[in-house]
This record gives sequence, C-alpha cells and structure tokens, in this order.
Amino acid sequence: MSNPTQPQDKTEPTQQPQQQKPPVLEEDDEFEDFPVEDWSQEETEQAANGTNSHLWEESWDDDDAAEDFSKQLKEELKKVEASH
Amino acid sequence: MSSSVPPWRATASATTTASPYNGHAAPAYIPVQARRSLAHPVSATPAPAPAAAPPSADASTRKRVEWPAPLRSYVQRSFAPDNQAASVAREEMETRLKSVITDAAEKDMLDKIDWDSLPLPQVMIQNDRNRILASPSVSSWGASKATFSRKSDNSEEVSKKRKSAEYQDDASSCPPWRQTNKNFEDRITYSPTDKRQRMDHKNPSKSKANLEMRRKRFEDSRARYGSSPSSRGESPVPTANQGPVVGRCQELEKNYFRLTSAPNPDTVRPLSVLVKTLDLLKKKWKRDNNYGYICDQFKSLRQDLTVQHIRNEFTVSVYEIHARIALEKGDLGEYNQCQTQLRALYAQQLGGHPTEFKAYRILYFIHTRNWTAMNDALADLTAADKREPAVKHALDVRSALALGNYHRFFQLYLDTPNMGAYLMDMFVDRERLSALAAICKAYKPDVKIRFITEELGFESDEQSAHFILDHTSEGLLLEKDGAVRLLTGGKAGQLFEAAKADAHRVVDIKGQI
Amino acid sequence: MTTVFEDFARGQKQGSGPTLAAALTPIASADYPSRLYTFYRFSNAARVSSDLRYSLFQANGVKLPKQEQNAWIDIFAAYWKAVSQIVLFDLSPSEASWAKVFDAWKDLTNVLIRGYSNGGLQAWTVPCLYTVGKYLRTFGIRADAELASLGPVAFGNRFQDDIAAEFEKNAKLEEAARVINRMFTLCLSDRHVPHEPDFQLMSMLTGRVRAPIEESRKWGVYNMTNLLFKTYFKLNSVGLSKNLLRALSASAVDLPELEAFPKAHIVTFKYYVGVIHFLDEKYSEAEEHLADAWRMCHKNATKNRELILTYLVPCHLVTTHTLPNKKLLAQFPRLEKLFGPLCSCVRKGDLVGFDTAMAAGEEEFVKRRIYLPLERGRDIALRNLFRKVFIAGGFEEVKDGQPPIRRTRVPVAEFAAALRIGIHAAEKSRVDIDEVECLLSNLIYKGLMKGYIARERGMIVLSKGGTAFPGTGI
Repeated sequence: MSNPTQPQDKTEPTQQPQQQKPPVLEEDDEFEDFPVEDWSQEETEQAANGTNSHLWEESWDDDDAAEDFSKQLKEELKKVEASH
Repeated sequence: MSSSVPPWRATASATTTASPYNGHAAPAYIPVQARRSLAHPVSATPAPAPAAAPPSADASTRKRVEWPAPLRSYVQRSFAPDNQAASVAREEMETRLKSVITDAAEKDMLDKIDWDSLPLPQVMIQNDRNRILASPSVSSWGASKATFSRKSDNSEEVSKKRKSAEYQDDASSCPPWRQTNKNFEDRITYSPTDKRQRMDHKNPSKSKANLEMRRKRFEDSRARYGSSPSSRGESPVPTANQGPVVGRCQELEKNYFRLTSAPNPDTVRPLSVLVKTLDLLKKKWKRDNNYGYICDQFKSLRQDLTVQHIRNEFTVSVYEIHARIALEKGDLGEYNQCQTQLRALYAQQLGGHPTEFKAYRILYFIHTRNWTAMNDALADLTAADKREPAVKHALDVRSALALGNYHRFFQLYLDTPNMGAYLMDMFVDRERLSALAAICKAYKPDVKIRFITEELGFESDEQSAHFILDHTSEGLLLEKDGAVRLLTGGKAGQLFEAAKADAHRVVDIKGQI
Repeated sequence: MTTVFEDFARGQKQGSGPTLAAALTPIASADYPSRLYTFYRFSNAARVSSDLRYSLFQANGVKLPKQEQNAWIDIFAAYWKAVSQIVLFDLSPSEASWAKVFDAWKDLTNVLIRGYSNGGLQAWTVPCLYTVGKYLRTFGIRADAELASLGPVAFGNRFQDDIAAEFEKNAKLEEAARVINRMFTLCLSDRHVPHEPDFQLMSMLTGRVRAPIEESRKWGVYNMTNLLFKTYFKLNSVGLSKNLLRALSASAVDLPELEAFPKAHIVTFKYYVGVIHFLDEKYSEAEEHLADAWRMCHKNATKNRELILTYLVPCHLVTTHTLPNKKLLAQFPRLEKLFGPLCSCVRKGDLVGFDTAMAAGEEEFVKRRIYLPLERGRDIALRNLFRKVFIAGGFEEVKDGQPPIRRTRVPVAEFAAALRIGIHAAEKSRVDIDEVECLLSNLIYKGLMKGYIARERGMIVLSKGGTAFPGTGI
C-alpha cells in the first residue's frame, strides 16, 4: 500500500520485461497542481527573473581551446592527406 | 456568498486558510503540509491509520487438512475460472487432477513435487493433444512436406529481397517435435513482379555490387533466425476464460466475414484444423501468389484464433507470416494491423521473431513519419535488441535520416537485412528528393551524374538521370567534358524542393491509418 | 484541522468552491490524520442519508433550496460509501481493494455529475468536479496496478477480429477518462454563458483584468481539460488530447478569454498544449506555448518550472540552435544532469562525446520523449566543430588599411581532419570524403553554414562578411 502505483510483480515470476510497457510519463514526472489557483504578476517567473534572454547561451566562442585545436587540426590533416 | 467575483477568485478573498504563495510575511514556497488543499500530492496514501484497533484474529491460521499448501493452491488454480481451457471439459480436467494427486500420493511425492511450477491438468491435457496432433502422420503447422520441385539453380532471375515465402519454414517457427525433419520446402526466389528485374544492367555501378551483397546477406540471415527466445517447450496453451468459443468446423478454408454477433461454433475452426489451414495457405501462396485470396483467408484465420482466445506461438507465427506477405505485396494497412498485434504478442514472450519485426516497425514509422509511435518503438527496445543486426540497421537508418546524412542512409539502404528493403523502397525516392534538394543548394556549379548515382543508391547513371527528369520539368542535365552533369543551384533546388514536398504530402495522407 | 462538515459549511457560507471541494477530498491532512475515519464512524449504511441531512444542514445552519440540498446529501452519501472502502486499508487490509475504491468513487462521480446536470448545483461549486475527477484518476491508476498484479488480464471485446492489442491493462484509467470527459463536457456546454469582462474598464480600475460577474461552469473548463490531458498522457493516448483542443476551439466564442482564468489553470494548460505540439514535432508552436507557461509560472514552483524547461530546452535547440545558459541549468540539478553533458559536447563540437551522452541518457530521453529533438543537437555540435576550422584558417593577407578578412576558401580535407578530431578517429582509419561532403552539404542546406562546395576542386567557398556561420558572430 505504500507504493500502490507500482505493479506488484512479486507474485508473477514470469519474464515479463519492463520495457514492454508503453512509455508513459511517470507519476513523479507529472505537472503538479499549484497550491494556489492564482497569483500576482510580481510572483511570476518573468517578474522574478526578467525576460527570456537570460535563459540562453549567447556566445559560441571558446578562445582558450583555439590554439590547441589549430595544432591538432594540422596533425590530422597530414593523416587525411596521407590516406587519399 | 459572493456573487461579484468569479468562482475561483472566492478562494483568495474568502478562505481563511493562508495561501502558501500569498502570505505576505513569509512568501516562501511551501507546497502543502499546512493545508489540506487541492494540491495534495496525487500519490499520497489515503487515510493514515486512525487510532482504532486493527482487526485481531487471523482467520487463516486454522488448519483443516494436512495437504501441503502448494498442492492446495494447485488444486485451487486448477478450478479457477480464469484457468479453464475451452477445449478441455471439466470432467476431463477433474479426472486428470485426481490421477496426478493419487499418483503423487502413491509415490509419496506430495511434499516433493514442485506444485507451483507443475502445469495445470488442463494444460497437461492440451499438451498431450498437441503431441498427438504433431505426430508425423498428421500435418501440422510446422509442416514441411515438400511437394514442389526445386527452382532451377541456374535461373538468371534472382530476387534481391528476401521473400515472405522464404521464412515460412524457418526452423524456429517449427515446433520442437518437428525439428528433426529437415525436409523443408525449397525457397522460391523468383518473383516476376520484382521491379529490380527491370532495371538497367548495362551500366553497373558500385551499388550493383552492394546489391549482390545484400542478396547474399538475405540468404545468410536464415541462420541468424534459427534461434528464437521462445518458450517452445510448452506449446500451444490457450489461455482461456469467460467461455471463449470452441470451434467445431472442420473445413480448412473459410472466407472472412466481419463479426456482428457472437460467433457460431459450427463455423469456427479449432486449433487442430487451423494448424492445417496455415499449412495449406503457405502452399497456396507459394504456388498461386494470389494475394486477394491469401489475405482474406488469413483474416478469417486470425478471427478464429481470436474468438477461441488462442494466444500462443502458433498465433505469433500466423501474424508473422501474414505480416511478411502483406509487406511483400506492399499492403501497409494489413501489415500495420499485424504489426500492432505482434507487438502485444511479443510482450507476452510467446516466441516468434521479435527483433525482425521490431526492426520493421522502426522502418515503418520512418515511412509514415509517425514520431510519437517512433518514440514508443524506441522505448520498446532492450539493450540486447539494439545489438541485433536488423534492429541496429533500422536504428542507423533512422538516425541517418534524422541528421540528413544521405550518404550513410543510402549505404544502409543497399545493405538491408530480411524484408526491410520492401519497407525502405517505400521511402527511398522521397529521401532521394530530399538529398537532391540539399545537393542542389550546397554544390556549385554542377555535379557529375555518376556522383548522384553512387551517393543516392541508384542502379545506374541512366536510372538516376531518369529519376531527375521524372521529378523536374526543366532541363537540369547537360553534357560537359564527356560527362553528364546535374546543374545545381537555386533553380534546381526549388524544383526538387517542390517534388520533395509532394512526396511527403502523399505519405501524410497514407500515414493516417 | 477541519472536519468534512466544517469544510462543507464554510464552503457554502463563504461561497468558496475550493473550500467546498476540500470537503470531498479522500485524503486526511497531516494535522488531522483521523479525518476520514471519523467521518466514516459518524454513521452507517442504513442511516447515512438522514445523518447527513442533519450534519450537513441542520446542525450547521446551512440553508439551500430543497432540490440542491438533496443533491448534496446524495453526493455525500456516495462519498461516505467510498470512504468506507478507503478506510478498509487500515481497518482490514485483506478486504481492501483499489478496484472497489475506484468503483465506489466512480459512483460518487456519477452522483455529482447528476447534481450538476439536473440537481441544481450552483456553478461556483465547480471545483468539486475537479477534485472528484482528480481522485477518480488516481484510484483508476491504482486499481489498474492492483489488477495487473493479480495476473494475466482477460480477453476483451469478443467481436474483434484480432486480439486486443493493449490487453486492457489500463481498463480502470480508461473508464476514469471517459467519466472525466463527461465532466469536461458538463463545464464546456453550460448554458450560462459568462459575460465577457469589460477588459478596458477593469484594467483601468485595477491594473488587471477581472473576471465576469455572472457565473458559469465554463470557469471549470480549463481545469478539467488539464485533468484530461494528464489522463491521456498517462494512457499514452496523446492523440485524444487533440480532439479536446478541437472541442475547445469550436466553442471558443462562448468561453471567457484564457487570460481571464486563474494562472494555475493557464500555466498548466499552456504546458500541456506545448508538449502536445512538441510531440508532433511542431517545435515553434510548442516553444510559444511553453515560453508562455514559463513566464507566467509561479517563481517558486520548482518542479513545474523544471518540467517546462525539460521541453523548452530541446525546443529552443531545434528552433534557434542555441543552448541553455549554464546559470539556468545550475538552478535545476535534474536538468543539469539531463542536459549538461550534452550541452558541453555541443559547445565543444565533440561528436563522440555527444554520441556517448545521447547513449547514456537514451532511456531517460526516450521516457521523457525528448530524444528525437535532442538528437538534432549533433548538427550544432558539427557546426561548432567546422566553425573552429574556419577560425583556425585565420585571415587573408591584409591590404593596407583594409579590415582583416578571414580565409573563405577552405579545402574539404581540412573539414575531414576536423571530423577525425570530432569522432576521435583511430590512427589508421580513413575518413570518407564523400561523407564529409554530405555533412557539409547538410549544414549548408539547413542554413547552419553559408557557402558552397566546389566538388571538383575539393574546396568549400564560404561566404564573406561575417556570415559564414550565421548567428555565431563569424
């Protein structure tokens, strides 16, 4: 009873494989009911953390590794040319 | 009662329970606890024990008989409605049960027998019958009476794909008692309708060699399917309950009619007859290749199995064979029905060829572009499945397409195990158009037709040229420096883009089943 | 710590739907663990109706029209019966069964629905529908699990040509879905059409839009929709959710604006609609809804914010080819674990690392249905790898006074060499130049690179003027 949502397979020692179950979002992955119905604009994510922009990475540059890569590239280029 | 606010507002204004959000002093988010709210976790256990005394006396401690408990439970299970077999009469079962117990008592084995794993009397009876059914004098569903002469080996016409007929005598679909009999029917490898026969042979490309490889692989693959993880020892055991129909019909052939009321036992064939029916159908399929007839017969065969609640390895083999035949004939609707049933049957570990069909399933969802179903198909795979060549191939095809890697896709296309090529044929042209759209956008000013032939798995330059001309209206081909070239660029790209959209539209309509 | 009767009386007197609905909750609260048991002990099967008449109304001083009063008595009598099944789990576990609880709760559900359709229940009490429906779903799930543990399930419909595919393993939950669907219809088809709020006036007065004055069960429609979404997802029948959306949009003119509903309803609705589009690979639509849900979500609802991001992150990767900020992931350890390794490989252009991370997370990704969009991150990893080739290529010889121009003609062989790095190629292995070209052609086709392949010269000619790798600054 402590965990009744899990099928109790103990009585069935058959080899019913787990992964045959259709993939459903588990109970603990479900969207929760909010403890209150409504809240003010100030309590929203947007008000608390600003606009969308802080969510995403802006730059792709990885300057530290640039030199290493250049060297490695020359090494590998020799191998490419050798094999063609 | 406040009527000036909408119902849901009433909480905030009226209720005395402090909202965990709105409490002005401590706005910390504390989900429930303090309040029995709508948001109480769904998984919470209802009603923790009240202070009341639990029921005391354990009624089950009283002892009545001295039979061992496992035996008592065995007897109970024998009589449980859910375990009754339609084909075994109650008296028959009781007689057998008595004899099993008497026998055990006489040999002083009552405490030694593993009653929990001993088959129930009704199962024993069925197993005995099946053994009789399978005796060499009676034709059975693993049957192998060779009645057709071998197709001459020097036949020039050799199919590139494995045919459905080739599978039907696989050792693995044959019950164990038949396996000593090696006299399998020869495979028929010629099909007058195989479109590859019409292809141009004059200008062989590297794909030609690949095709040859593919053909060889089909032949080799028989060995791989020789072992299936089925529990064949306990052959057909109909799991029956709530009174399934018990058929009495002895006719082998029967036309299919949709049921509108409870089936009449006089028109339903019992398992022993159905076994012979399958045998007959396989022979007729090889001989006549009449799909309309075969499909109808298979549907009535499936219906008879269903109304009698027969769900065992034989059932699996019926669906597998029908699925393969439907694949070969490009009848996707019927194929999909079989595939859906097979998925459920495999989940019950009844034997058959799960990985072969799991691979088809992936290819099928690529074709219908059903990504929700694809996700399910992926979730069905075990780590062991993914190591199986057919499944691995299908997964590689999927990922090549997902990433637009046409180079890899067409390599895989030319190396498809089993009957997967029938499925892939349904979407290669679409993928060729996608690839051509990309190539036209990426290359300048042109590419040799040979490059297209080799990259996109065409049989010959002529075939690829035809393909290009068929899908574009403009003259995109030109001859330069002694080679035919495809003029790439924006204009060509747009033409292929339009053709690609058309090809996808067709599938969107067909895909809705 | 309140009793069933106190909740009922307060809900009725204050006209508070949620408080009233709390009376019908089948769980005891932490501060009053014997709540259900006490309620069960207050009466017996023979006397329950008359006992209820006294305790709900006379003792509490609650007065309602006769028809409505009788409806509530019937409802709480059915509730009492269901509770008597639930308390069995403590009183006599061997007799207790989730299937019986489910059946009793379903009876309650039907009585409640009847109360609305012809028992004169008022529209403000509509949160009761949600509460009762929500636990019907919970009990359905438990009853199915209980039935599954009892062994193989029976054959179903006997007029079918084929064996039932799903073997009815969700029979009770499916039953629950049908009942909840009736509740949804009950809300949607309420004849009392709420007045459209006077948005402008209200906004001017209060700074926000107030809901209309007249009441209607339509206020319950999104809550019931959300409950059905949840149920269909659990049943793996996402397709049915689309029917629901069609039904909603067909009656859109009769419904109040979505914005007029409580945020809890809106956020949940937006989340599910986003995920439905997501599963359809409609990533831009999905992103739109998920981003709305994100913005409007309560800032402290960690679990729900995490779930929104679980789908928003892959969406964003597909639509805009960008990764979540490290600071964002750091707030959510589960997401950090889910996406962190993948993101770092995409950033570095480490293809092997990417494949490894995909394989390692595969089970979780598939379960959450985010595998397919995440897989597309490989293109971004590849783009970043090739971008490094471009950077390593340096600049053309600078003419006096001119700004430096990057070398835009790059041999395919250099990309092949980069690919060797990306896939950690073995010393002796050979890279297939045709495949390298295919990968390049794809990036160009998808707009991740700008330029063209001159096959016969073995060259890539990249576009000048800082647009060779659009959106990445070079």
